Amino acid sequence: MLEISIFSILAIFMLGGSFAMISNKQTVFSAFGFLVTMIGMAGIFAMLNNQFLAMAQIMVSVGAVVVLSMLTILTVNAKEENLPKEPHKYKWIIFSTIAVAPFTVLLYKTLTTMDRHFSEMATIDSKVLGSVLFSKWVLPFEILSILLLAAMLGAIVIARKKS
Amino acid sequence: MTPNIFYLLASILFSIGLVGLVSRKNLFVLYMSIELMLSSISLVLATLSKVLAQADGSVMALLMIGVIAAEAAVFLAMIINLYRSHRTLNADSFNKLREGVYND
Repeated sequence: MLEISIFSILAIFMLGGSFAMISNKQTVFSAFGFLVTMIGMAGIFAMLNNQFLAMAQIMVSVGAVVVLSMLTILTVNAKEENLPKEPHKYKWIIFSTIAVAPFTVLLYKTLTTMDRHFSEMATIDSKVLGSVLFSKWVLPFEILSILLLAAMLGAIVIARKKS
Repeated sequence: MTPNIFYLLASILFSIGLVGLVSRKNLFVLYMSIELMLSSISLVLATLSKVLAQADGSVMALLMIGVIAAEAAVFLAMIINLYRSHRTLNADSFNKLREGVYND
């Protein structure tokens, strides 16, 4: 019962945050909705007995990605006339929701064809995660490190002023 | 607690990201919608990791967080570059590569 209530609170926060993200005109408020969603996601990871993933989510997604995007939004500091004019925004949102809803049902039904029960297991702590990460998944890990390096260089090159 | 509600939450979040992606024009909102879709997939992976009692799903979700970070860096740099050249955040105004003549 307690688990269900915690899950419901987190889910309401996440859904409200994501709806605020896609419906706000001001970009900073969208970023705040995104922040709420990411924190709720970390809580959901913690509910799945996955402490390390929850901490990584807090540190990377909340601490780095959201803060970086907020910094970018405040640096760009777009004036009202530079924002896109979207007079039919809610109409678009409603009709695309109708269009996407069958896909949501399809996704949910596809996912629920897998096992219906949580298996009894100890929590996935950093020891278990690290031993799997550095034995079975070491090649994807290295590829990801190269991807991060390439992304860093690419970001520097793209955002540089043309002289 | 069954995994079904986690799957339901992940599919709803994915769909909200998709709705934001098709219905908005603001570049930052598009970027955050893509991030939301990626995060919902990592939620599915973490749930599967608990269902199957293996840590592989969690490792995949962890790697996905890294991919999200890389994508954030490149996308934000791109937004800065586009804003500097066009002075707008409207995704419809970046149509240099579009075929045909449109004047909207």
